[in-house]
Amino acid sequence: MTNPKPWQDIGRHAMLPQPTLDERAHLDVVAHLNLFATERLAPAVQRAYERQGVAANDRHEVRRLMEPNPDYRTWSLLRRNTMEQRQHVVRNLVGRQRIELQEKARELNRDGESAGTLRLNPKLQVPRYVCAVDQHLLRGGYTAEWLQDDVSNAANYDAGMFATLGGGAGPWNNAAGRALANWLRSNFPAFSPARIVDLGCGLGHNTLPLRQCFPHAEIIAIDVAAPMLRYGHARARSLGVTDVKFWQQDAVQTSIESHSCDLVFTTMVLHETSKEALPRFFREAHRLLRAGGLTLHLEQPTYRGLPPLEQFMRDWDGKHNNEPFWSALHETNLPQLLQAAGFHEEHIFETRCVAQDSIEDVPHEDFGRAPAWYGVGAWQAATGDAVND
Amino acid sequence: MTNSDSLAVTDHLPPAVDPSPPSLTTLRGRRPEFTDDPMLDRLYSITIAAVSELMVTRSRLDTLERLLAAKNTLTQQEMEDFIADDAAKRERGELQQQILQRIFREL
Repeated sequence: MTNPKPWQDIGRHAMLPQPTLDERAHLDVVAHLNLFATERLAPAVQRAYERQGVAANDRHEVRRLMEPNPDYRTWSLLRRNTMEQRQHVVRNLVGRQRIELQEKARELNRDGESAGTLRLNPKLQVPRYVCAVDQHLLRGGYTAEWLQDDVSNAANYDAGMFATLGGGAGPWNNAAGRALANWLRSNFPAFSPARIVDLGCGLGHNTLPLRQCFPHAEIIAIDVAAPMLRYGHARARSLGVTDVKFWQQDAVQTSIESHSCDLVFTTMVLHETSKEALPRFFREAHRLLRAGGLTLHLEQPTYRGLPPLEQFMRDWDGKHNNEPFWSALHETNLPQLLQAAGFHEEHIFETRCVAQDSIEDVPHEDFGRAPAWYGVGAWQAATGDAVND
Repeated sequence: MTNSDSLAVTDHLPPAVDPSPPSLTTLRGRRPEFTDDPMLDRLYSITIAAVSELMVTRSRLDTLERLLAAKNTLTQQEMEDFIADDAAKRERGELQQQILQRIFREL
Protein backbone atom coordinates (compact mmCIF):
# COMPACT_ATOMS: atom_id res chain seq x y z
CA MET A 1 0.00 0.00 0.00
CA THR A 2 1.18 3.47 -0.87
CA ASN A 3 1.09 6.11 1.82
CA PRO A 4 -0.82 9.22 0.77
CA LYS A 5 0.76 12.57 1.57
CA PRO A 6 -0.61 13.81 4.91
CA TRP A 7 -2.47 17.10 4.88
CA GLN A 8 0.31 18.72 6.90
CA ASP A 9 2.42 18.59 3.69
CA ILE A 10 0.04 20.90 1.79
CA GLY A 11 1.61 24.09 0.41
CA ARG A 12 1.01 26.93 2.84
CA HIS A 13 -0.32 30.31 1.79
CA ALA A 14 -2.19 33.04 3.60
CA MET A 15 -5.67 31.99 2.41
CA LEU A 16 -5.46 28.33 3.36
CA PRO A 17 -8.05 27.48 6.04
CA GLN A 18 -6.64 25.89 9.18
CA PRO A 19 -8.03 22.55 10.35
CA THR A 20 -7.85 21.39 13.94
CA LEU A 21 -5.72 18.39 14.82
CA ASP A 22 -8.75 16.07 14.45
CA GLU A 23 -9.93 17.65 11.21
CA ARG A 24 -6.48 17.23 9.76
CA ALA A 25 -6.48 13.61 10.88
CA HIS A 26 -9.92 13.16 9.27
CA LEU A 27 -8.63 14.55 5.96
CA ASP A 28 -5.79 12.04 6.17
CA VAL A 29 -8.38 9.31 6.74
CA VAL A 30 -10.16 10.44 3.57
CA ALA A 31 -6.87 10.17 1.67
CA HIS A 32 -6.23 6.70 3.08
CA LEU A 33 -9.73 5.44 2.30
CA ASN A 34 -9.50 6.76 -1.26
CA LEU A 35 -6.18 5.09 -1.82
CA PHE A 36 -7.50 1.88 -0.30
CA ALA A 37 -10.38 1.99 -2.77
CA THR A 38 -7.90 2.44 -5.61
CA GLU A 39 -5.27 -0.07 -4.63
CA ARG A 40 -7.31 -2.81 -2.98
CA LEU A 41 -10.93 -2.54 -4.03
CA ALA A 42 -10.62 -1.53 -7.70
CA PRO A 43 -8.42 -4.57 -8.52
CA ALA A 44 -11.04 -6.72 -6.78
CA VAL A 45 -13.66 -5.28 -9.14
CA GLN A 46 -11.42 -6.13 -12.08
CA ARG A 47 -10.97 -9.71 -10.84
CA ALA A 48 -14.70 -10.07 -10.30
CA TYR A 49 -15.32 -8.88 -13.85
CA GLU A 50 -12.79 -11.32 -15.26
CA ARG A 51 -14.36 -14.18 -13.28
CA GLN A 52 -17.62 -13.54 -15.09
CA GLY A 53 -15.86 -14.66 -18.26
CA VAL A 54 -17.90 -12.33 -20.45
CA ALA A 55 -16.29 -10.05 -23.00
CA ALA A 56 -18.58 -7.02 -22.85
CA ASN A 57 -18.84 -4.90 -25.97
CA ASP A 58 -19.21 -1.57 -24.21
CA ARG A 59 -19.38 0.04 -20.78
CA HIS A 60 -23.18 -0.28 -20.69
CA GLU A 61 -22.87 -4.06 -20.88
CA VAL A 62 -20.22 -3.96 -18.15
CA ARG A 63 -22.58 -1.90 -16.04
CA ARG A 64 -25.38 -4.45 -16.33
CA LEU A 65 -22.94 -7.18 -15.37
CA MET A 66 -21.18 -5.38 -12.54
CA GLU A 67 -23.72 -3.18 -10.79
CA PRO A 68 -25.05 -6.09 -8.69
CA ASN A 69 -21.52 -7.26 -7.86
CA PRO A 70 -20.56 -6.93 -4.16
CA ASP A 71 -16.99 -5.89 -4.96
CA TYR A 72 -18.20 -3.13 -7.25
CA ARG A 73 -20.76 -2.02 -4.68
CA THR A 74 -18.17 -1.93 -1.90
CA TRP A 75 -15.79 0.12 -4.06
CA SER A 76 -18.59 2.50 -5.03
CA LEU A 77 -19.89 2.95 -1.50
CA LEU A 78 -16.41 3.72 -0.24
CA ARG A 79 -15.77 6.29 -2.99
CA ARG A 80 -19.09 8.04 -2.42
CA ASN A 81 -18.72 8.03 1.35
CA THR A 82 -15.18 9.37 1.33
CA MET A 83 -16.31 12.26 -0.87
CA GLU A 84 -19.22 12.97 1.48
CA GLN A 85 -16.89 12.84 4.47
CA ARG A 86 -14.40 15.18 2.81
CA GLN A 87 -17.15 17.68 2.10
CA HIS A 88 -18.53 17.39 5.61
CA VAL A 89 -15.19 17.94 7.32
CA VAL A 90 -14.10 20.79 5.08
CA ARG A 91 -17.44 22.57 5.13
CA ASN A 92 -17.29 22.69 8.89
CA LEU A 93 -13.71 23.89 9.13
CA VAL A 94 -14.22 26.53 6.44
CA GLY A 95 -17.58 27.57 7.91
CA ARG A 96 -15.91 28.26 11.23
CA GLN A 97 -13.29 30.51 9.56
CA ARG A 98 -15.50 32.13 6.94
CA ILE A 99 -15.26 35.67 8.34
CA GLU A 100 -11.53 35.46 8.93
CA LEU A 101 -11.02 34.20 5.37
CA GLN A 102 -13.27 36.92 3.98
CA GLU A 103 -11.20 39.56 5.78
CA LYS A 104 -7.89 38.10 4.69
CA ALA A 105 -9.05 38.05 1.07
CA ARG A 106 -10.26 41.66 1.29
CA GLU A 107 -6.89 42.73 2.66
CA LEU A 108 -4.83 40.84 0.08
CA ASN A 109 -7.13 41.94 -2.77
CA ARG A 110 -7.24 45.58 -1.65
CA ASP A 111 -5.57 47.09 -4.72
CA GLY A 112 -6.52 44.30 -7.13
CA GLU A 113 -9.17 46.35 -8.85
CA SER A 114 -7.02 49.44 -9.33
CA ALA A 115 -4.14 47.25 -10.55
CA GLY A 116 -6.50 45.51 -12.99
CA THR A 117 -5.54 42.09 -11.63
CA LEU A 118 -8.92 41.36 -10.03
CA ARG A 119 -11.94 42.30 -12.08
CA LEU A 120 -15.26 41.05 -10.79
CA ASN A 121 -18.55 41.56 -12.57
CA PRO A 122 -21.57 41.14 -10.28
CA LYS A 123 -23.83 41.58 -13.30
CA LEU A 124 -22.37 38.63 -15.15
CA GLN A 125 -25.00 36.14 -16.27
CA VAL A 126 -23.53 32.95 -14.82
CA PRO A 127 -24.40 30.02 -17.10
CA ARG A 128 -26.90 27.65 -15.58
CA TYR A 129 -24.71 24.63 -16.28
CA VAL A 130 -22.22 26.01 -13.76
CA CYS A 131 -24.41 27.45 -11.03
CA ALA A 132 -27.12 24.75 -10.97
CA VAL A 133 -24.70 21.94 -10.11
CA ASP A 134 -23.09 21.03 -6.78
CA GLN A 135 -19.96 19.78 -8.54
CA HIS A 136 -18.37 16.77 -6.81
CA LEU A 137 -20.70 17.32 -3.85
CA LEU A 138 -19.48 20.87 -3.19
CA ARG A 139 -22.62 22.39 -1.73
CA GLY A 140 -23.64 25.44 -3.73
CA GLY A 141 -21.02 24.68 -6.38
CA TYR A 142 -18.23 27.03 -7.43
CA THR A 143 -20.42 30.10 -7.63
CA ALA A 144 -22.27 30.03 -4.27
CA GLU A 145 -21.74 33.04 -2.04
CA TRP A 146 -22.67 32.57 1.59
CA LEU A 147 -21.76 36.13 2.59
CA GLN A 148 -20.49 39.34 0.98
CA ASP A 149 -17.09 38.96 -0.69
CA ASP A 150 -17.24 35.27 0.13
CA VAL A 151 -14.39 32.84 -0.53
CA SER A 152 -15.80 29.84 1.40
CA ASN A 153 -16.31 27.38 -1.43
CA ALA A 154 -12.92 28.17 -2.94
CA ALA A 155 -11.24 27.54 0.42
CA ASN A 156 -13.27 24.35 0.64
CA TYR A 157 -12.08 23.21 -2.79
CA ASP A 158 -8.44 24.02 -2.06
CA ALA A 159 -8.29 22.24 1.30
CA GLY A 160 -10.42 19.26 0.28
CA MET A 161 -8.81 18.53 -3.06
CA PHE A 162 -5.48 17.79 -1.42
CA ALA A 163 -7.17 15.12 0.72
CA THR A 164 -9.01 13.46 -2.15
CA LEU A 165 -5.83 13.26 -4.21
CA GLY A 166 -3.72 12.28 -1.21
CA GLY A 167 -1.38 15.07 -2.24
CA GLY A 168 -1.04 13.43 -5.66
CA ALA A 169 -1.15 16.77 -7.46
CA GLY A 170 1.69 18.10 -5.33
CA PRO A 171 1.64 20.48 -2.37
CA TRP A 172 0.02 23.21 -4.47
CA ASN A 173 -2.64 21.01 -6.12
CA ASN A 174 -1.20 22.13 -9.43
CA ALA A 175 -0.01 19.02 -11.28
CA ALA A 176 -2.16 19.78 -14.35
CA GLY A 177 -0.59 23.22 -14.77
CA ARG A 178 2.87 21.77 -14.29
CA ALA A 179 2.07 19.01 -16.79
CA LEU A 180 1.00 21.60 -19.34
CA ALA A 181 4.13 23.70 -18.79
CA ASN A 182 6.26 20.56 -18.90
CA TRP A 183 4.70 19.48 -22.20
CA LEU A 184 5.41 22.88 -23.74
CA ARG A 185 8.99 22.98 -22.50
CA SER A 186 9.72 19.43 -23.67
CA ASN A 187 8.08 19.60 -27.08
CA PHE A 188 8.36 23.24 -28.07
CA PRO A 189 11.26 24.76 -26.12
CA ALA A 190 11.29 27.79 -28.42
CA PHE A 191 7.57 28.55 -27.86
CA SER A 192 7.46 31.77 -25.89
CA PRO A 193 3.92 33.11 -25.56
CA ALA A 194 3.48 36.81 -24.90
CA ARG A 195 -0.16 36.49 -23.82
CA ILE A 196 -1.67 33.42 -22.14
CA VAL A 197 -5.35 32.87 -21.33
CA ASP A 198 -6.63 30.24 -18.87
CA LEU A 199 -10.31 29.58 -19.56
CA GLY A 200 -12.12 28.36 -16.44
CA CYS A 201 -9.20 28.98 -14.09
CA GLY A 202 -11.04 28.24 -10.84
CA LEU A 203 -8.81 29.42 -8.01
CA GLY A 204 -5.76 29.43 -10.27
CA HIS A 205 -4.13 26.18 -9.10
CA ASN A 206 -3.02 25.43 -12.65
CA THR A 207 -2.54 29.01 -13.78
CA LEU A 208 0.41 29.88 -11.57
CA PRO A 209 2.79 27.20 -12.97
CA LEU A 210 2.53 29.04 -16.31
CA ARG A 211 3.82 32.16 -14.59
CA GLN A 212 6.89 30.23 -13.43
CA CYS A 213 7.40 28.78 -16.89
CA PHE A 214 6.88 32.07 -18.76
CA PRO A 215 7.92 34.86 -16.37
CA HIS A 216 7.43 37.63 -18.93
CA ALA A 217 4.08 36.60 -20.41
CA GLU A 218 0.86 38.43 -19.69
CA ILE A 219 -1.45 35.87 -18.08
CA ILE A 220 -5.22 36.31 -17.94
CA ALA A 221 -7.22 33.81 -15.89
CA ILE A 222 -10.93 33.73 -16.68
CA ASP A 223 -13.74 32.22 -14.61
CA VAL A 224 -17.42 32.83 -13.90
CA ALA A 225 -17.13 32.13 -10.16
CA ALA A 226 -16.38 35.22 -8.05
CA PRO A 227 -15.46 33.28 -4.86
CA MET A 228 -12.84 31.29 -6.78
CA LEU A 229 -11.36 34.46 -8.30
CA ARG A 230 -11.26 36.35 -5.00
CA TYR A 231 -9.57 33.44 -3.30
CA GLY A 232 -7.29 32.75 -6.27
CA HIS A 233 -6.16 36.36 -6.53
CA ALA A 234 -5.49 36.55 -2.79
CA ARG A 235 -3.70 33.19 -2.85
CA ALA A 236 -1.50 34.31 -5.75
CA ARG A 237 -0.66 37.56 -3.95
CA SER A 238 0.28 35.73 -0.79
CA LEU A 239 2.59 33.53 -2.88
CA GLY A 240 4.26 36.61 -4.34
CA VAL A 241 2.53 36.45 -7.73
CA THR A 242 1.17 39.94 -8.29
CA ASP A 243 0.67 40.21 -12.04
CA VAL A 244 -1.65 37.35 -13.04
CA LYS A 245 -5.03 38.81 -13.97
CA PHE A 246 -8.14 37.17 -12.53
CA TRP A 247 -11.19 38.30 -14.46
CA GLN A 248 -14.80 37.27 -13.93
CA GLN A 249 -16.09 36.59 -17.41
CA ASP A 250 -17.80 33.81 -19.31
CA ALA A 251 -15.06 31.82 -21.04
CA VAL A 252 -17.11 31.49 -24.22
CA GLN A 253 -17.37 35.24 -24.62
CA THR A 254 -14.42 37.07 -23.12
CA SER A 255 -13.64 40.75 -23.56
CA ILE A 256 -10.15 39.95 -24.82
CA GLU A 257 -9.46 41.23 -28.32
CA SER A 258 -9.41 38.81 -31.25
CA HIS A 259 -6.11 37.28 -32.42
CA SER A 260 -4.18 38.77 -29.52
CA CYS A 261 -3.17 35.59 -27.64
CA ASP A 262 -0.47 32.96 -28.08
CA LEU A 263 -1.71 30.27 -25.70
CA VAL A 264 -5.31 29.57 -24.70
CA PHE A 265 -5.74 26.57 -22.40
CA THR A 266 -8.04 24.74 -20.00
CA THR A 267 -7.28 22.15 -17.31
CA MET A 268 -10.03 19.79 -16.17
CA VAL A 269 -12.70 22.26 -17.24
CA LEU A 270 -14.29 20.62 -20.26
CA HIS A 271 -15.94 17.86 -18.19
CA GLU A 272 -17.73 20.56 -16.21
CA THR A 273 -18.94 22.24 -19.38
CA SER A 274 -22.31 21.60 -20.99
CA LYS A 275 -22.65 20.10 -24.43
CA GLU A 276 -23.90 23.45 -25.71
CA ALA A 277 -21.06 25.49 -24.21
CA LEU A 278 -18.24 23.09 -25.14
CA PRO A 279 -17.97 24.03 -28.86
CA ARG A 280 -18.10 27.68 -27.84
CA PHE A 281 -14.98 27.24 -25.67
CA PHE A 282 -13.13 26.07 -28.79
CA ARG A 283 -14.58 28.83 -30.97
CA GLU A 284 -13.49 31.40 -28.39
CA ALA A 285 -9.98 29.91 -28.34
CA HIS A 286 -9.91 30.15 -32.13
CA ARG A 287 -11.05 33.76 -32.03
CA LEU A 288 -8.44 34.71 -29.41
CA LEU A 289 -5.39 33.07 -30.98
CA ARG A 290 -3.06 34.91 -33.26
CA ALA A 291 -1.28 33.19 -36.14
CA GLY A 292 0.95 30.41 -34.85
CA GLY A 293 -0.77 30.39 -31.46
CA LEU A 294 -1.70 27.25 -29.56
CA THR A 295 -4.80 26.01 -27.79
CA LEU A 296 -4.36 23.05 -25.44
CA HIS A 297 -6.87 21.32 -23.18
CA LEU A 298 -6.01 18.83 -20.44
CA GLU A 299 -8.64 16.29 -19.43
CA GLN A 300 -9.18 12.72 -18.36
CA PRO A 301 -8.83 10.43 -21.36
CA THR A 302 -11.60 10.04 -23.84
CA TYR A 303 -13.34 6.64 -23.65
CA ARG A 304 -12.57 6.00 -27.29
CA GLY A 305 -10.32 2.93 -27.54
CA LEU A 306 -10.32 2.10 -23.81
CA PRO A 307 -11.32 -1.39 -22.61
CA PRO A 308 -15.03 -1.46 -21.66
CA LEU A 309 -14.30 -2.17 -17.98
CA GLU A 310 -12.01 0.84 -17.74
CA GLN A 311 -14.62 3.01 -19.44
CA PHE A 312 -17.17 1.80 -16.91
CA MET A 313 -14.88 2.50 -13.94
CA ARG A 314 -13.95 5.93 -15.28
CA ASP A 315 -17.60 6.74 -15.79
CA TRP A 316 -18.27 6.44 -12.05
CA ASP A 317 -17.87 10.18 -11.42
CA GLY A 318 -20.40 11.04 -14.08
CA LYS A 319 -23.00 8.83 -12.48
CA HIS A 320 -22.29 9.13 -8.77
CA ASN A 321 -20.22 12.23 -8.04
CA ASN A 322 -22.38 15.07 -9.39
CA GLU A 323 -20.51 15.42 -12.64
CA PRO A 324 -23.45 15.63 -15.07
CA PHE A 325 -21.35 16.38 -18.17
CA TRP A 326 -18.63 13.80 -17.48
CA SER A 327 -20.00 10.89 -19.52
CA ALA A 328 -20.90 12.94 -22.58
CA LEU A 329 -17.55 14.74 -22.62
CA HIS A 330 -15.57 11.52 -22.61
CA GLU A 331 -17.60 10.24 -25.53
CA THR A 332 -17.15 13.45 -27.51
CA ASN A 333 -14.67 13.56 -30.33
CA LEU A 334 -12.77 16.68 -29.29
CA PRO A 335 -10.50 16.85 -32.36
CA GLN A 336 -13.64 17.01 -34.50
CA LEU A 337 -15.01 19.80 -32.33
CA LEU A 338 -11.77 21.74 -32.71
CA GLN A 339 -12.05 21.37 -36.45
CA ALA A 340 -15.63 22.58 -36.37
CA ALA A 341 -14.42 25.59 -34.37
CA GLY A 342 -12.20 26.62 -37.27
CA PHE A 343 -8.86 24.91 -36.69
CA HIS A 344 -7.35 23.11 -39.67
CA GLU A 345 -7.37 19.32 -39.46
CA GLU A 346 -3.61 19.07 -39.96
CA HIS A 347 -2.98 21.42 -37.03
CA ILE A 348 -5.06 19.40 -34.53
CA PHE A 349 -3.41 16.83 -32.26
CA GLU A 350 -3.98 14.55 -29.29
CA THR A 351 -1.25 13.97 -26.72
CA ARG A 352 -0.47 12.97 -23.16
CA CYS A 353 0.73 15.44 -20.54
CA VAL A 354 2.45 14.41 -17.34
CA ALA A 355 3.69 16.49 -14.44
CA GLN A 356 7.43 16.05 -14.55
CA ASP A 357 8.10 14.94 -10.99
CA SER A 358 4.96 12.95 -10.30
CA ILE A 359 4.69 10.10 -12.75
CA GLU A 360 6.89 7.77 -10.69
CA ASP A 361 4.54 8.34 -7.78
CA VAL A 362 1.66 6.72 -9.60
CA PRO A 363 2.15 2.98 -9.78
CA HIS A 364 -1.56 2.27 -10.14
CA GLU A 365 -4.27 3.39 -12.49
CA ASP A 366 -6.74 5.18 -10.25
CA PHE A 367 -9.48 5.77 -12.79
CA GLY A 368 -9.44 9.51 -12.94
CA ARG A 369 -7.17 10.92 -10.28
CA ALA A 370 -3.63 10.30 -11.49
CA PRO A 371 -1.49 13.34 -12.36
CA ALA A 372 -1.40 12.42 -16.06
CA TRP A 373 -3.76 13.85 -18.62
CA TYR A 374 -5.11 13.44 -22.08
CA GLY A 375 -4.27 16.57 -24.03
CA VAL A 376 -6.10 17.78 -27.10
CA GLY A 377 -5.13 20.91 -28.94
CA ALA A 378 -4.53 22.78 -32.15
CA TRP A 379 -2.17 25.33 -33.61
CA GLN A 380 -3.63 28.38 -35.22
CA ALA A 381 -2.61 28.49 -38.87
CA ALA A 382 0.57 30.51 -39.24
CA THR A 383 -0.83 32.54 -42.09
CA GLY A 384 -3.93 32.81 -44.20
CA ASP A 385 -7.63 32.90 -43.60
CA ALA A 386 -7.72 30.86 -40.38
CA VAL A 387 -6.92 33.91 -38.32
CA ASN A 388 -9.19 36.23 -40.20
CA ASP A 389 -12.51 34.44 -40.40
CA MET B 1 -31.02 38.00 -9.16
CA THR B 2 -29.97 36.93 -12.62
CA ASN B 3 -29.48 33.27 -11.82
CA SER B 4 -32.45 31.61 -10.25
CA ASP B 5 -30.42 28.48 -9.57
CA SER B 6 -27.50 30.09 -7.84
CA LEU B 7 -27.48 30.85 -4.16
CA ALA B 8 -28.11 34.47 -3.40
CA VAL B 9 -25.73 36.49 -1.27
CA THR B 10 -27.40 36.58 2.08
CA ASP B 11 -26.88 37.73 5.63
CA HIS B 12 -27.81 34.29 6.79
CA LEU B 13 -24.53 32.49 7.39
CA PRO B 14 -24.14 28.76 7.37
CA PRO B 15 -23.70 27.46 10.90
CA ALA B 16 -20.13 27.15 12.00
CA VAL B 17 -20.76 23.54 12.89
CA ASP B 18 -23.07 21.82 10.49
CA PRO B 19 -24.14 18.29 11.34
CA SER B 20 -26.25 17.84 8.21
CA PRO B 21 -25.11 15.30 5.63
CA PRO B 22 -23.61 16.72 2.45
CA SER B 23 -26.33 15.11 0.42
CA LEU B 24 -30.04 14.37 0.55
CA THR B 25 -31.84 17.63 1.25
CA THR B 26 -28.80 19.89 1.37
CA LEU B 27 -27.20 18.89 -1.90
CA ARG B 28 -28.45 19.32 -5.42
CA GLY B 29 -28.13 16.06 -7.32
CA ARG B 30 -29.37 12.56 -6.74
CA ARG B 31 -27.70 10.54 -4.01
CA PRO B 32 -26.92 7.16 -5.52
CA GLU B 33 -27.93 3.91 -3.90
CA PHE B 34 -25.60 1.03 -4.55
CA THR B 35 -27.40 -1.85 -2.85
CA ASP B 36 -30.93 -3.20 -3.19
CA ASP B 37 -31.86 -2.06 0.30
CA PRO B 38 -31.52 1.59 1.41
CA MET B 39 -30.83 0.31 4.90
CA LEU B 40 -27.71 -1.43 3.66
CA ASP B 41 -26.38 1.76 2.07
CA ARG B 42 -27.09 3.57 5.31
CA LEU B 43 -25.45 0.91 7.40
CA TYR B 44 -22.36 1.07 5.20
CA SER B 45 -22.16 4.87 5.62
CA ILE B 46 -22.47 4.53 9.38
CA THR B 47 -19.78 1.88 9.43
CA ILE B 48 -17.36 3.89 7.32
CA ALA B 49 -18.00 6.95 9.45
CA ALA B 50 -17.32 4.91 12.60
CA VAL B 51 -14.12 3.50 11.13
CA SER B 52 -13.03 7.02 10.21
CA GLU B 53 -13.69 8.27 13.73
CA LEU B 54 -11.59 5.45 15.10
CA MET B 55 -8.76 6.34 12.74
CA VAL B 56 -8.98 10.01 13.73
CA THR B 57 -8.89 9.08 17.39
CA ARG B 58 -5.94 6.77 16.96
CA SER B 59 -4.14 9.53 15.11
CA ARG B 60 -4.78 11.94 17.96
CA LEU B 61 -3.71 9.38 20.50
CA ASP B 62 -0.55 8.75 18.56
CA THR B 63 0.21 12.49 18.57
CA LEU B 64 -0.36 12.65 22.30
CA GLU B 65 1.69 9.60 23.17
CA ARG B 66 4.61 10.75 21.06
CA LEU B 67 4.59 14.20 22.65
CA LEU B 68 4.34 12.76 26.12
CA ALA B 69 7.12 10.30 25.49
CA ALA B 70 9.31 13.02 24.02
CA LYS B 71 8.78 15.21 27.06
CA ASN B 72 9.06 12.27 29.44
CA THR B 73 6.19 13.66 31.51
CA LEU B 74 3.73 10.82 31.97
CA THR B 75 3.92 7.15 32.80
CA GLN B 76 1.61 4.39 31.57
CA GLN B 77 0.48 3.82 35.17
CA GLU B 78 -0.57 7.44 35.62
CA MET B 79 -2.82 7.11 32.57
CA GLU B 80 -4.34 3.89 33.93
CA ASP B 81 -5.05 5.57 37.26
CA PHE B 82 -6.63 8.71 35.83
CA ILE B 83 -10.00 9.76 37.32
CA ALA B 84 -11.94 12.46 35.45
CA ASP B 85 -13.21 15.49 37.40
CA ASP B 86 -16.62 17.08 36.76
CA ALA B 87 -15.46 19.41 33.98
CA ALA B 88 -13.56 16.61 32.26
CA LYS B 89 -16.58 14.31 32.56
CA ARG B 90 -18.83 16.92 30.96
CA GLU B 91 -16.42 17.67 28.13
CA ARG B 92 -15.80 14.01 27.43
CA GLY B 93 -19.55 13.37 27.37
CA GLU B 94 -20.05 16.15 24.84
CA LEU B 95 -17.27 14.70 22.74
CA GLN B 96 -18.98 11.30 22.70
CA GLN B 97 -22.27 12.92 21.65
CA GLN B 98 -20.55 14.69 18.77
CA ILE B 99 -19.05 11.43 17.60
CA LEU B 100 -22.48 9.78 17.60
CA GLN B 101 -23.92 12.70 15.68
CA ARG B 102 -21.31 12.28 12.98
CA ILE B 103 -21.67 8.52 12.82
CA PHE B 104 -25.45 8.73 12.53
CA ARG B 105 -25.39 11.75 10.25
CA GLU B 106 -27.79 9.91 7.93
CA LEU B 107 -30.66 10.09 10.38
